[in-house]
Amino acid sequence: MTAQLSFPSFSVLWMLSALKALFAAGLMAFLPFSTMAADKFETFVDQARGQSVYFNAWGGSPAINAYIAWAADQLKVRNDITLIHVKLTDTADAVSRILAEKTAGKTSGGSVDLVWVNGENFASLKRQNLLQDEGWAFSLPSFTYTDSAALPALISDFATPTDGLESPWGRAQLVFGYDTAYVAAPPRSAAALSNWVKQDDNQGRFTFPRPPDFTGTSFLKQIALEVVPDSSIFAAPAPADMDSADAMLEPLWAWLADVSSNLWRAGRHYPVNYTDMVRLLGDGEVAIAMAFNPAEFSNGIAQGILPDTVRSYIHEGGTLANVHFVAIPFNANGPAAKVVANFLLSPEAQLRKANSEIWGDPTVLSMAKLPPEDAAAFASLPRGIATLSDAQLSRSLAEPHPSWVKVIEQGWEKRYAAN
Amino acid sequence: MSGQLFTAHHTVLAAGTKVILVFVLTPVLAGLVGAVLPATGWFPPLGGDSISLSPLRNFLLEPGLMTSVSLSIFTALMATTLSYLLAIGLLAVLVGTGGGAFLTRLISPLLSVPHITIAVGFLFLLQPSGWLIRLLSPWATGWDRPPNLNLVPDEAGWMLVTGLVAKEVPFLILMGLSAASQIDARRLLEVGRSLGYGPLTSWYLVVQPQLGRRLFLPVMIVLVFSVSVVDMALVLAPSTPAPLAVRILVWFRDPDLMRQFVAAVGALAQMGLALICCAIWVAASAICARVIRHICWSGWRLTTHPLLARVGRFWLLGLAVLPCALAAAGLTSSLIWAFADIWRFPDGLPSRWGLQAWMMTSDGLLHAALTSLVLGLAAASVSVFAAVFWLEGVSARTRTGQIGAADRLAGSQAEGLIYLPLLIPQAAFLFGLQILLIWLGADGMFLTLLWVHVVFVFPYVMLSLGPSWRRFDRSFTDLAANLGAGPCRRFCAVKLPILLIPVLTAFAVGFAVSQALYLPTVFASNGRIATLTTEAVILASGAGRQTLGAASLLQMALPLAVFLSADLIGLARFRRFSWFRV
Repeated sequence: MTAQLSFPSFSVLWMLSALKALFAAGLMAFLPFSTMAADKFETFVDQARGQSVYFNAWGGSPAINAYIAWAADQLKVRNDITLIHVKLTDTADAVSRILAEKTAGKTSGGSVDLVWVNGENFASLKRQNLLQDEGWAFSLPSFTYTDSAALPALISDFATPTDGLESPWGRAQLVFGYDTAYVAAPPRSAAALSNWVKQDDNQGRFTFPRPPDFTGTSFLKQIALEVVPDSSIFAAPAPADMDSADAMLEPLWAWLADVSSNLWRAGRHYPVNYTDMVRLLGDGEVAIAMAFNPAEFSNGIAQGILPDTVRSYIHEGGTLANVHFVAIPFNANGPAAKVVANFLLSPEAQLRKANSEIWGDPTVLSMAKLPPEDAAAFASLPRGIATLSDAQLSRSLAEPHPSWVKVIEQGWEKRYAAN
Repeated sequence: MSGQLFTAHHTVLAAGTKVILVFVLTPVLAGLVGAVLPATGWFPPLGGDSISLSPLRNFLLEPGLMTSVSLSIFTALMATTLSYLLAIGLLAVLVGTGGGAFLTRLISPLLSVPHITIAVGFLFLLQPSGWLIRLLSPWATGWDRPPNLNLVPDEAGWMLVTGLVAKEVPFLILMGLSAASQIDARRLLEVGRSLGYGPLTSWYLVVQPQLGRRLFLPVMIVLVFSVSVVDMALVLAPSTPAPLAVRILVWFRDPDLMRQFVAAVGALAQMGLALICCAIWVAASAICARVIRHICWSGWRLTTHPLLARVGRFWLLGLAVLPCALAAAGLTSSLIWAFADIWRFPDGLPSRWGLQAWMMTSDGLLHAALTSLVLGLAAASVSVFAAVFWLEGVSARTRTGQIGAADRLAGSQAEGLIYLPLLIPQAAFLFGLQILLIWLGADGMFLTLLWVHVVFVFPYVMLSLGPSWRRFDRSFTDLAANLGAGPCRRFCAVKLPILLIPVLTAFAVGFAVSQALYLPTVFASNGRIATLTTEAVILASGAGRQTLGAASLLQMALPLAVFLSADLIGLARFRRFSWFRV
């Protein structure tokens, strides 16, 4: 479970990971403060009683919605907090709403109390100063169960320092699922995938969610990391000049040009998001799908969306891994959101979330830092038949700098969504 | 009647109409200002503090812009033209045969179902893994996996056109039936026939031009709605690129906040697009009118063989019914999904039935359904009350002859203004409105959402109620006045009971409109208040087909229940007044 992000030995990436270790060291300096803050947190818990928290989180997955509903029940009973799930079609909705509130000068009593974010949306919120800035996330009692030295992505969200503006919620890794009824040996690299897609038998049996969907863009990032010869460019910000940045991604565009006419619906239409694509896998429209949750395919089998012939795999060189968070906007109401964030990060809530029969989202907690009985509970979680082991998932790639997202999305849009 | 008392009554009514107008127009105008400013580059929170052309330049640089624009224009004009022609054709068949009342009952379910529900039904029915292909596979098609075809959405936008036609034909027929009775279409038809024109020919040459003039406003509403539709387009329209209205929403939601400027320009472009479409429609109908006049002058009777005429009528009927039949079949497949646990391709029916959908998300769905119900009832009540107030105000002034020709013109212009929210694309003013609401601290409140709903519901209620109100035979109230009844008594004891059925119908129409509102709900509720329609749009982009089916079921059930209740109340009450002829 530890050392989830092992870096390829490129020199720049090495420096980056050293930098992250420095961040972690900075955090250690923070820790005495965070224990001092325990008393302060207790006063938050008291103040939070009777408050409502509007939690803005993507609402397209029934399994995740059910988990959030469970959390709401627990918080009501334990802390007398009413957690309301505002179901978003896209997290960017919440970003633009917070912006609209800033525009209108609404500096308190905002409509979003807690928002599920990471990567580009977080970078955007942070850049526009739309987040509450007390480094609150580092002083949550549950944060002491995490180990950011072992998992630097906990404090560095897509290479943007979190500065305690967001609290980790779960881990994600790009995982592919395939139907063994149609695919004998799954293609375990970008090159193999392109060959597979072009075979006559597989015409129209592969696709990815339409960028800028999160999973769709991540898939393109994955391919870029594999096909661009010098992948160290992704650790640094993309060049400000869009044309030269776009030119640096030429191998990605060539890969796409090679396969696009062989994609599902000849590349004229794409699934809306990963759940839509998983449904296509279940119907047999496509034979390979992808998700950012290692337990997604076991979960789908359990729910009857997928046939039990589906299994999962990752690429030989590793796949993208990241952490997702919850953040509090600058104009949110009261301290209840912090109590919610702390509960979501607690061993109990994390354990339930990691259960593949419920959601299957891997925990951000460090087994070494947990009390032994909690660590044992995590170890004995059921793994679905289509979930890879931790060892199989150990090869992971770090997220590119968030500035590449725009280059990839605009480049794709220009080439494939504009005719 | 004492003059003084009358003046007070009149003043209240006149002031009331002004209040209604302000109430309806403020959000629209404020919202437009909120779009114009960022479009010109002035948006201080994002550092835009000077007027510049760069938002416009960035907008024009958006890839595939022209494809999006032409897609929007094509789908809007095609959907409106088809809806108009089919509705007029169906009316011809019906007014001639007197099947109007029957048809109204038949189409009211379709009229009452929200757009997104129809769209979801199309998706469930027609996509490669949809019900139709499931029923035909593998025995007829040989497919054991869904075919790799662009069926829904198709590449040209025909699915969106079909979906819109299925919704708009019933609306135009409802509007057309009331217009047809105003112009006494049946008499016109007899005159045409006596001059030797066939029934369909005299319908198109004699009745249609007059009907068309009266349907101008509803047709414009259909056109503007079609060009700016978002929820239906998200499901049925092509996505590479999407129609302009969908892209505006995507720009508004872009995490790169600089795209807000582009979105604002897009909102104004949407407005221009609506104007262009209306101009094309007006020009085309002027040309058609000229052609028709020419045909009339030429004396050409356009006679065809009776058999051919019958075949033609059959085809017309089939063509008009097809989108509605597809919609009905789609809704049926939604109902099946609502009670399916496992339904694999190519099974024609679920292999395991169950209540999975209802167990998993029942809480959220039922809560949303309750919100939809309360919101719809409230919005319809307020709107019907306002409409009655407005129409009484107008009829009081007309009646006393207090207003001259100029005032009357001003009056009809004021009435034109209440339709403004339907004639301006929603995206054009809703973002600006959102900022205004936040600034007022009124966002996300139930009352605010109700207000915004009323802005859209009220005009439809007016459309539904207006004709019956104006047709009211004044001799009833005159008689009551002669018997000594005051204005209030005349209204409550005589006029309202006689007009009860139109009032109830308008209420049901208002409820259905409120149910269907997507974009206004999203913006005014700040995402905090979920209705069935916002839930359905979220679910339509996910894996939960069972839950989506359940949402569709509730979306069908609520308006239907209201329409049926209105019908029943009308029937029960009408028995007492059965000697009146309305």
